[in-house]
Amino acid sequence: MQRPADASRRAWPKKPPPTPFAVGGLIGLVVFSLVTSWDWILGIGFNPLALPGEFRDSNPAMVEGLYNVTDAAWRESYVDRLRGAFTDPDSPWVLSLDSRIGRGLVETVQIAVLATIVGSALALPMSIYNTRLGAASSTRLAISKALNNTIRSIPDVIWAVLFVVLVSTGALAGVLALTMFTIAVVVKLTSDIIDGIDMGPVEAARAAGASHAAAMRTAVVPQILPGYASFSLYAFELNLRGAAVLGFVGAGGIGQAMDFYWSRLDFEGVSVVVFVFLVLVIVVERASIAVRKRLV
Amino acid sequence: MITFDKASVTYPGGVRALKDLSLTVGDGEFVVIVGLSGAGKSTMIRAVNGLVPLTSGSVTVNDWSVPELGRRQMRDLRAEVGMIFQAFNLVKRTTVLNNVLMGRLHRVPLWRSLLGAYAAGDRELAMQCLELVEIVEKAYVRASNLSGGQQQRVGIARALAQEPKVILADEPVASLDPPTSHVVMKYLQRINRELGITTLVNLHFLDLARMYADRVIGLREGELVFDGPGSDADESVFEDIYGRSLTADDVLEGQAQL
Repeated sequence: MQRPADASRRAWPKKPPPTPFAVGGLIGLVVFSLVTSWDWILGIGFNPLALPGEFRDSNPAMVEGLYNVTDAAWRESYVDRLRGAFTDPDSPWVLSLDSRIGRGLVETVQIAVLATIVGSALALPMSIYNTRLGAASSTRLAISKALNNTIRSIPDVIWAVLFVVLVSTGALAGVLALTMFTIAVVVKLTSDIIDGIDMGPVEAARAAGASHAAAMRTAVVPQILPGYASFSLYAFELNLRGAAVLGFVGAGGIGQAMDFYWSRLDFEGVSVVVFVFLVLVIVVERASIAVRKRLV
Repeated sequence: MITFDKASVTYPGGVRALKDLSLTVGDGEFVVIVGLSGAGKSTMIRAVNGLVPLTSGSVTVNDWSVPELGRRQMRDLRAEVGMIFQAFNLVKRTTVLNNVLMGRLHRVPLWRSLLGAYAAGDRELAMQCLELVEIVEKAYVRASNLSGGQQQRVGIARALAQEPKVILADEPVASLDPPTSHVVMKYLQRINRELGITTLVNLHFLDLARMYADRVIGLREGELVFDGPGSDADESVFEDIYGRSLTADDVLEGQAQL
């Protein structure tokens, strides 16, 4: 194509200025950040310059542990002990299933699996009931929404504290807490996809004289099953990580082992817990993602 | 027998889809309802099984007075009235057999439908219905893997699985190509002839209507403008029903030539 001779002198449309919303939003964000972080009545008093001092004044054992990393000999011995934990049965860091960490790890997986199964099973009918289609009445929908919003607004750690009070410390409290957490996650995500399903089969089921429950089961469930299964697996990943924290409030799992080392200021023990748990989380997450990919 | 008596439907928003419709369809008749889109064809068909409630007047199906039915009785009525849809309305993610078994839901106990554990008798009947539309070899194939014509035959089998006295077909061939349309229409005709099931079909192709209908009912803007045997429904009748002269779009074969 031939360029017109006076192409350089042609007036192109000017780039429009940014909208007032964009400008205002950007300025607002900066002002908000300063107001909340500055050291005054409404701020948290965040001062980057004071950080090194605060770090120095914090727990000396922990800081010493961190400074150890700079010491080559210490690093070597640490790696040796870590390796010994897997190979030498006499090592104080033995990682058998019978050790403190081993038992905690197994219990964490058990808690996560049980809570995911029970929570997901309850979440399927609850998700259907949490939509206009499933509730089939605005009163019932409002009740269902209120219930599910309540379940969702309570964090898993608070659920754990509640259940520790109710059923005393141990894995059961953890299972119950994460069951509620699973319901919160799966119901929210699953009921959102129910709003987008093909309504044709529902009409067909109704036209065939099916009861409401039968219509939901035959026309809705097959359509949401892949999404629901994927969300349940995702909830399992979250539960595994959640189960680690719950030990701190006495609800069983690896968190109890971490709490044990933490309270003795044995930060090397804590680091082993973190390390083995990290490996477990990565393995489970990879496996879960691989399965979820095949679901859609 | 289906009787409309001054049946009217006004949708929320004020659209009057059906205006004082009065007519009777006898047992075993094959009736084709024609009219432009928006003429009230779908509304008329859905009034028969209560999917669209009447604003005034009445519809009587066999001994059921549709506007007066409670929830439970409405389900009993719908069990007797099979329905076939323009978009097939199959659950695409599940098997053909499971789709046909949806036609048995009225008779199946809730625990069986919830578990998907249908009784052998229901499965047998579903297979027989698939056999009738000659697609039984696809029983365990996912519905999404079938062609449009095959999906509509599954839709017919699902309606047949209800062992219905009446079949309603809402634009059953509107999503299909011309040869497939004829296949589906022939199945509907055969079911009507051999099983004696009263059949109401919505169509907007006049040649299909004339070819298959024992009786043609013409609707325009919710009003009955023609009611007579298919042989009487010539082009002037259709021009009256459509309120304009005919074009190639109004005939299936004409569309095929485009």
